[in-house]
Amino acid sequence: MARALPPPPPPPPRAACARPQQLSARRVSRGARVEGHGALTMELSESVQRGFQTLADPGSFDSNAFALLLRAAFQSLLDAQADEAVLDHPDLKHIDPVVLKYCHAAAATYILEAGKHRADKSTLSTFLEDCKFDRERIELFCTEYQNNKNSLESLLESIGRSLPHITDVSWRLEYQIKTNQLHKMYRPAYLVTLNVENTDSQSYPEISFSCNMEQLQDLVGKLKDASKSLERATQL
Amino acid sequence: MLLDLSEEHKEHLAFLPRVDGAGKLNVSSDTVQHGVEGLTYLLTESSKLMISELDFQDSVFVLGFSEELNKLLLQLYLDNRKEIRTILNELAPDLPTYHSLEWRLDVQLASRSLRQQIKPAVTFKLHLNHNGDHSTKVLQTDPATLLHLVQQLEQALEEMKTNHCRRVVRNIK
Repeated sequence: MARALPPPPPPPPRAACARPQQLSARRVSRGARVEGHGALTMELSESVQRGFQTLADPGSFDSNAFALLLRAAFQSLLDAQADEAVLDHPDLKHIDPVVLKYCHAAAATYILEAGKHRADKSTLSTFLEDCKFDRERIELFCTEYQNNKNSLESLLESIGRSLPHITDVSWRLEYQIKTNQLHKMYRPAYLVTLNVENTDSQSYPEISFSCNMEQLQDLVGKLKDASKSLERATQL
Repeated sequence: MLLDLSEEHKEHLAFLPRVDGAGKLNVSSDTVQHGVEGLTYLLTESSKLMISELDFQDSVFVLGFSEELNKLLLQLYLDNRKEIRTILNELAPDLPTYHSLEWRLDVQLASRSLRQQIKPAVTFKLHLNHNGDHSTKVLQTDPATLLHLVQQLEQALEEMKTNHCRRVVRNIK
């Protein structure tokens, strides 16, 4: 695909950050469109492509360094405890830190895009070939990607807003005898508490309500209807 | 169990026999108010304690009313007891009560961060009542948790049928 603009100079050193700008990546200019699975296409910026071109070059990254950087990219994304130190490996010391960070960011960005679009091996290979990767590096990348695919997709799936999510329920059965307003009650009552999780605010509110036997039967009946309906739907 | 009516109460209620058939009252508004309050207290206390017919009659007897008036008061008590108790029940410290539940089956197909998903979920609208106010909560859960909820709450319902609960219900009266 013909480029309308000459390649821009590399961006200034990024502030210390193991995580690259992910889904809302700043695009220097529109790069190539990479055909993904089916009709889906991945938008990859100039900087990602240039990063990969550098990674393909044995003069910039020898085999060992490449493997280490690749692993570091996956680690930054998937390991909750990962930090800056992920690039602090003795075998990477000889590489210019600016280049190191640039390529690390490019790799991580591409991995996320590939994960988001559920890229298959042929998509990955095509892109890497376009970036002038040799066969060995392509295989290594695809293997690493395959090994981390499930964790990656889990991570991506968990990002996003959703309704408050019920995680658990507790109940209490009591026998009401009297209050100061009403004596001789003699009836059972339930107290139900739903534990709820809010994805964005990380809060854990509780919803409590009381009900009598009839009401609880109604509630359980409706929950069972929903459950049966779900079962039927998943058998289709 | 007899109702304990104070002297003040008896005084307030003493006005009742003076109400003639035509409904005309030749008394001060204070007296009327006291009369109404006295009557209210009589009925609510009786309903609260759920006293028997006999006990009610005996309690009212001390007021020295005519038999006709006593019969009227008893009937008033019996006719309104259930409703009064329902209203008194609402005065107790309370949590929101369950009203109803609506549900919907959803399948998430994609999000900004991940395409080609098949993520089933159940969305609920829980209707609650609290002191006359109706509130709704929109919630969601996954299939596994839904099964867990059903199981837990079915166990809750089963509890009432156990020997232990049956014994308590039988013996506390």
